[in-house]
Amino acid sequence: MALTLAQRLSFKRFIRGEPAQRQHIELNHRRIFILPNGAGLSLGLVILLMLVASINYNNSLGFIFTFLLAAAAQTSSFYSYKNLSGLIVSISQSSDCYVGENSHITIKLQDPQQRERWQLLASHLKQDHAFQLLGREENHIHLSIEPRQRGWYKAQTITLSSSFPLGIFRAWSPLLFEHAILVYPQAINHGLPLTFSQSGLGRVARSSRLTGSDDFLGLKPYQAGENYRHINWKALAAEKGFYSNEFSREQPSNIVLDWASCRDLVLEDKLSQLCYWVIQCEKKGHQYGLRLPGIDVQPSKGIQHQRRCLKELALYEN
Amino acid sequence: MKTKPSSIQPALLKLLISIAGLLIVPLISQLNPVFIGIAFALLIWRYLTLSRPKLIPNKWLLLPLSLSLGFVVMKTFGMSFGRDASSSLLVILMGLKLLECHHQRDVQALIYLFFFVLITPFLFDQRILLALYALAIFFSLLFALIMNNTGSPILQRPALLKISGLILLQAIPLMLIFFVFFPRMIGPLWAMPDEHSAISGISDQITPGSIFNLALSDATAFRVRFKGRAPQQKDLYWRGPVFWDTDGKRWTLKPPTPASFKNAKTWPPSVKDYHYTLMMEPHQQVWLYALDSPAVAPKNARLNDDRQLVFAKKLSRNLSFELRSSISTPLLTLSPQDRQRALHLPASIQPRVLALAKKWRSKAKTNQHLIQQALEFYNTEFYYTLRPPSLGEYPVDEFLFDSKRGFCGHFASSFATLMRAAGIPARLVGGYQGGVYNTLGDFFTVRQADAHVWVEVWLQQQGWIRVDPTAAIAPNRIEHSINVSLQRLNGDVNFLLQPPEGFDQWALQFNSVIHSIDYYWQNAVLAYGPEKQLEFLSNVGIKDWSDMIVWLSIGSGLMIALTMTTVLLIQRSKLDPVQAAYLKLCKKLAKKAGERRPHETISQYFERISPYYPTKTDELKHIKKMYLKTRYGQQTANVLLELISRFRQ
Repeated sequence: MALTLAQRLSFKRFIRGEPAQRQHIELNHRRIFILPNGAGLSLGLVILLMLVASINYNNSLGFIFTFLLAAAAQTSSFYSYKNLSGLIVSISQSSDCYVGENSHITIKLQDPQQRERWQLLASHLKQDHAFQLLGREENHIHLSIEPRQRGWYKAQTITLSSSFPLGIFRAWSPLLFEHAILVYPQAINHGLPLTFSQSGLGRVARSSRLTGSDDFLGLKPYQAGENYRHINWKALAAEKGFYSNEFSREQPSNIVLDWASCRDLVLEDKLSQLCYWVIQCEKKGHQYGLRLPGIDVQPSKGIQHQRRCLKELALYEN
Repeated sequence: MKTKPSSIQPALLKLLISIAGLLIVPLISQLNPVFIGIAFALLIWRYLTLSRPKLIPNKWLLLPLSLSLGFVVMKTFGMSFGRDASSSLLVILMGLKLLECHHQRDVQALIYLFFFVLITPFLFDQRILLALYALAIFFSLLFALIMNNTGSPILQRPALLKISGLILLQAIPLMLIFFVFFPRMIGPLWAMPDEHSAISGISDQITPGSIFNLALSDATAFRVRFKGRAPQQKDLYWRGPVFWDTDGKRWTLKPPTPASFKNAKTWPPSVKDYHYTLMMEPHQQVWLYALDSPAVAPKNARLNDDRQLVFAKKLSRNLSFELRSSISTPLLTLSPQDRQRALHLPASIQPRVLALAKKWRSKAKTNQHLIQQALEFYNTEFYYTLRPPSLGEYPVDEFLFDSKRGFCGHFASSFATLMRAAGIPARLVGGYQGGVYNTLGDFFTVRQADAHVWVEVWLQQQGWIRVDPTAAIAPNRIEHSINVSLQRLNGDVNFLLQPPEGFDQWALQFNSVIHSIDYYWQNAVLAYGPEKQLEFLSNVGIKDWSDMIVWLSIGSGLMIALTMTTVLLIQRSKLDPVQAAYLKLCKKLAKKAGERRPHETISQYFERISPYYPTKTDELKHIKKMYLKTRYGQQTANVLLELISRFRQ
């Protein structure tokens, strides 16, 4: 990817990085920047003092060692560069991510040259993560994130940096990935009864239902003929009508998690509640579907199905 | 970027403590022992804290300690802050900072301080051995700095040592460019307080026995390389200060006046002239030595009426001079004041001395004859020794008539007194006689042991003529070099009369190698100052500062580019054979199937390309298996390398 001159010189490139990349980024001369850090500037001051002393006493050996120090400092900047160059960085998401919950993204560092790379620092969102790569071909670094909003979360600039070897130059490479992480709504149980809407296949296969479990799942409207001990008395006392407790071992084969059953909640809370249900259903191994306005996910189960449902919830727009 | 301050590894601390100790060692003989003692005590304290963390001082102890130590230094040196004061302060500061060293940042600052302390011994001494010593410390400092910035456990040290070595080696060319081209200015930038640097060689007054201290010193006074022919050993009189005035005990210099340069003429060049380069060691005096007699003054020195070369300031650094000397002595008129001065006799002169002079006067027809007579007297009556009996109130009288033993100081001062008593204007000249020729480097080393005093007398029609009574008594002193080591051993005069044999010969040859190295060190490195730089660079057409800066930029730019290339090339060639072979194979495969993408593993790549190589599927699979096995250390590389090399498309 060629850059125009204006892009090359843009200040943003030094801090935020080049336009986001979809896949891996190889660290090369275009991506790595080097400037003296605070310690480097102080060393400059020390060299200047040594120079003044050498001039003042017209001291040849003083000059030699002053220049040697300056030259060594200059040379070390190449090693700072070399410490980063050739690394291949790619990003991946390593776990599901919910609003307000600590999660992390993972960057993968590959070193085709298998060199020793010391004292690397991956910084992301003002958090630093120090590590080394000592002749290993691959390393995974987890960087924590805490997204505040559901939907697509754009990865921020990840800065790989190092002040190896002398601690006087900071070589850094700001990396921006196109990779976006899907953030699911926060899973909150608002205590709503889980209502079983009629799905196309009919609601419950009675045969699979077992009684007498204590693993509480939710509420369902009371059906005549059900064990009266399963009646939720609290709900009745609150004049909500007859509901019976649903237990997990009473396995309905098909549950449809319906938008309509949380109609009293505001939008985000509705999504949170549905999210909670999706997770619970999946955990318990139910077949479940999801019904949102305009969206209908057929009942199923498994991790793929759960992801699909959560994605619908994450990206739901009114 | 914020890195959390981390505690320091004990190994790094031990390294730092030892480096600090090594940094103090060259200063031991230069600084006040009290401060050296304090510095070492602080280091020992820090060392003890390694095993007993309770001993680490807190800031409420350190602060008053630092203040009081600073106060002691101030009290000792006063407000004038020169070389000795700042060196003392620096070594103490080093110890204090070590005690207060807890975080990575502290170590960084401490190592910077070390770098500064590293150059302080050079203000006292710039020998080549000290430079090598400092280079070794410089290397350890780089290593310490790297250790501090990697937090390296023991296993990785060889790699870090290698990097420090590489950085040092790659820094040297750039340093040389700076050394040659960086515009030097004639210092100091500000007046430094007088440091009482050791005055070496002839001092500004002479007593009969004052040369004795020098006779046992092997130290170099200056070095000379002749262009073309060199004079004979017996003619190597290196002329220094001229002493006119005496009180009967000591001889002193005529205070310089603007008038003392009035009559100094430069002599026109002649074929008999000697041309030579003289490298002067800093001797903290205002005069320069030159082969008797200098014909012209070099840059930054002047020729005075006594045909002596003088500087405006004391010489406190190594300098080299291009000189020309002529053997012929021109006729000069002697002003009545000077004649009076050169005939002046001290009030303390004894009748025996006057009587002897009168006796000679009456016998001799001419002044030359009288001098001849006097020299015969010295030749028959006196004995050359470095251990003469001590003299009392009237040294000349006691020496001439009682002890009759002594060395050049005794002979010259008594001879000059006798000449004056006989009515011949006379003065004393201090300098050196002889020098050791180094066949290897083709130069003469003139040592302090060669220090000498002789007499000049004024003769009508001839001007000032050199007369050396020592040569009359001990011709060996003039014709052969002094054997300083034997002289030290016996405490008396010894000359290198016959060529040495066996071990001595080896020792002499070894010495001449050492002296040759030292010569080039002095000439090329230490004497490379503002003057020499201009002279050297004008040979290649660089004439002033702005040219130097241009060349400095070009040279260092090229050198930096070169260093960068080497650093990056080392990276390329560092691939191990397995990886190299694998990449070569990938290149081969890429012709049909397209390049391997950087992120692709061997499995992914081979899977992608296998359709292009339908006949080779099994072979590729085998290679892949072996590659992974080799990579994960279950297999030596040979089999794989063999497989890859056999692979044909």
